[in-house]
Amino acid sequence: MSDESKMPHLDKLRTQLADGRMNRRDFARFATLLGITAPAAMKMAGLAPVSRARAASMPMGGTLRVGTRVKDLKTPHTYSWGGYDSNVSRQVVEYLTFTDADNITHPYLAEGWSVSPDLKTWTLNIRKGVKWRNGHDFTADDVVWNLKQLTDAAVGSSFVGLVKGYLLKEVKGTDGKTTTVLWDANAIEKVDDHTVRLNCKEPQVSVPEHLFHYPAAMMYPDEKGIFQPGSQGTGPFELVQADTGKIAVLRKVKSYWGQPAYLDSIEQVDTGDDPAAAIAALASRQLHGLIFADPVQYDALKAMPHLKLYQVRSAETIVMRFKETEKPFDDARVRRAMKLALDPQPILEVALRGIGIAGDHTHCSPAQPDTKPITPMGYHPDEAKKLLAEAGHPNGIDVTLYVPNDLPWGVAQAQAAAEQWKKVGIRVKLNVMPGAQYWDVWTKVPFGSTIWYHRPLAMMVMGLAYRSGVPWNESSYSNPKFDEILTRAEGTLDMAQRRDLLGQLEEIMHEDGPIAQPLFRNNFTFYDKVVLGASIHPSNYFFGSKLALEKA
Amino acid sequence: MTRYILRRSLEMLATLIVASFLVFVVCEFSPGNVARKTLGAFALQEQVDLLYKKLHLNDPLLVRYVRWVGVLTGLQADPLQDPALGLDFKDPRGKQYFGNFGYSTLFKAPVNDVLWDRLGKTALLAGLAFAVIVPLSLILGVLAGMRAGSVLDRSLSTLSIVMTSIPEFALGVLLVAVFVVALGWLPGTSPMVGNTGWSTASQLVLPVAVLAIYDSGYVARMVRTSMAEVMQKPYVRTAVLKGLPRRQVILRHALRNAMIAPFTVLLLQINWLISGVVVTELVFAYPGFGRMLLEASLFGDVSLIEAATLVALFVATATQLLSDVGYRLLDPQARR
Repeated sequence: MSDESKMPHLDKLRTQLADGRMNRRDFARFATLLGITAPAAMKMAGLAPVSRARAASMPMGGTLRVGTRVKDLKTPHTYSWGGYDSNVSRQVVEYLTFTDADNITHPYLAEGWSVSPDLKTWTLNIRKGVKWRNGHDFTADDVVWNLKQLTDAAVGSSFVGLVKGYLLKEVKGTDGKTTTVLWDANAIEKVDDHTVRLNCKEPQVSVPEHLFHYPAAMMYPDEKGIFQPGSQGTGPFELVQADTGKIAVLRKVKSYWGQPAYLDSIEQVDTGDDPAAAIAALASRQLHGLIFADPVQYDALKAMPHLKLYQVRSAETIVMRFKETEKPFDDARVRRAMKLALDPQPILEVALRGIGIAGDHTHCSPAQPDTKPITPMGYHPDEAKKLLAEAGHPNGIDVTLYVPNDLPWGVAQAQAAAEQWKKVGIRVKLNVMPGAQYWDVWTKVPFGSTIWYHRPLAMMVMGLAYRSGVPWNESSYSNPKFDEILTRAEGTLDMAQRRDLLGQLEEIMHEDGPIAQPLFRNNFTFYDKVVLGASIHPSNYFFGSKLALEKA
Repeated sequence: MTRYILRRSLEMLATLIVASFLVFVVCEFSPGNVARKTLGAFALQEQVDLLYKKLHLNDPLLVRYVRWVGVLTGLQADPLQDPALGLDFKDPRGKQYFGNFGYSTLFKAPVNDVLWDRLGKTALLAGLAFAVIVPLSLILGVLAGMRAGSVLDRSLSTLSIVMTSIPEFALGVLLVAVFVVALGWLPGTSPMVGNTGWSTASQLVLPVAVLAIYDSGYVARMVRTSMAEVMQKPYVRTAVLKGLPRRQVILRHALRNAMIAPFTVLLLQINWLISGVVVTELVFAYPGFGRMLLEASLFGDVSLIEAATLVALFVATATQLLSDVGYRLLDPQARR
């Protein structure tokens, strides 16, 4: 990593740590983002360093079988199921950075980075000695090609939503519709064979975390963004078989640049949509574990003595979002009434059996360090009725909520919410539909129930989901004041100031925001006790090279 | 008989053509479009619109149907495989050949690659289940029917009703609870991959058991009714009265005649076993034809739904034809 003396913001962080405006873990997080190595940052913060050393006792060899859904894997840059598709590809194609379960970002294919005092110029030092499986060096050219692909509107990656505020600008396309391009021809710049510079139009503190967003995998440029068995990668495994809906098989790469994997191979087996199938497979030890489990599986799996539970707090949630451009949701009073009419705790119990925490309709989770605790909206059905009347709906409203059926806890949440809404005259008809059909219309329906996975920072979610005009802004939410505060927050290093800005965004979400969001879930999974090194990442990411199998 | 078979075959072909058009029409009214499904949920609308245009998806329904038939019969190339689209859709058989069902937007693979593999898996499951269902239901049905009203008849009839009354999913869960969770004798799912610590043969035991138990009860009831009816016939009474041993009366005089009606029922089970075992395949995560058809339908994969429907219809009409021909061979009266 870079020399500490070149870290212009480090003194500011130290001051914030010293005067108590920042806790030690947040100090470590932000110091690593600015280019300090994780062990050094932990030491400065007075935390015990996380041991990255490999346990010498971990046995080598064996085939790990994990249950999941095996989706189409063809185009990682446009993936939309981080917990499924990217968990196959990430064993093969790697990322520039790595954000761990504690939201601390570490070097990966980028061995270090530094940022200018104005937080606008990010210099990424690309790791030397990394090779593609065909023996070619991984260089800055590969990074530049991938970043340009990811930011090309024609590719259709959700990465655009993350970087739009600082790397892109809006232009009119040939068809007259608004699209995005790099704000400057030199925005992504190759400095030399192992250095890439990002020249941003706005200050941005979370660039390293954005580079770990699941579509941002570094792919071999000659393969033009297509991923399939035999595809090149720099990772510890090679994809040897991919049958959608059946199985994906990964085989260990012996010439891996880092610490080779313990396992010889990994089989990700599709267990289908029936949660009982995965339970049965674990009961008969056909599988060693699940990449992540559903709340309906919890009790059955907990009762199996050969399994061990792994759990982590996360920002994963299902939002019931309103299309701001559709009646009656175009009236902020209606949107606010729908939030005030919900009592989160009973919904949490019904949908997740309490395995999570209550939400506050802000989509900012306590699991994310930049979330500011603000006064919760609370449950105020009388105020909700009053707001509806003021909005011209004294007899309530009739609306249809579109709910995908592939997440049982999402259906349960919608049912529980509909019952509560009924009490204030909001009559919600549930249109429970196959998941595949819902994902065809998720950005179009007036009122939809959409899962959002964990992101390490709340402002990342804000940028992906609520910034005007970004691809994943499913509610068509557009609020210039919100966009302006968000952009300021993205360029603010001072933690207290940043939290204040997030607090302002949370208040806007209360008053005007396009979602009702009563809960966050804890992510959990189960592995057979013979699996060593297991854990669960809050984003449900799976890292096969960290796992080993106990010898029989 | 030849003319009869020919006529029925032509009827079968006409049914397939009409059904393929109806499926095309039904898919037309399902949400989403082929361009969106091909490019994914997060592709930009402009990209979707462009592909929509390139694939001529705004042509009238009939034109698009005729184009689909053209691709199927090899008269024209599959438009999705056009390299100009940049989709990287390739079929090792080529772009233009007879039997080209097109490209699956769900599996991102040629339909022929997906379809026949899944069908083969289900055929294996169905074959094994059928091999159990036939003797089991015949034994239960004949034993019950040869002494209608007896204790044995009532016991076996009750057993048959219980067997056929338990839904497949409940039966599946029950068998898993006993043989997987409690006893640990069998694997809980049937992904049909080796190296899971369980042989693929053992993975077939529970799904076959579910199908056999569920279906044998129904067929046994049919056999029982037919057998009981035959046992009341004058020629059986005559055989008994002339002093033939009971075993000979049943095996030589009653059984063949009692099999005429169940023969048709049994053959129709083939149709159910191929395209109607969705629940069992889902419960055991079995990568078969039924689960594929369900997933394709939920996703709206028109090419795969079309192909699977045609195969299912072919199986249905072929087994019907077979049962009708068999019926005529078994029963001389039907030939008149």
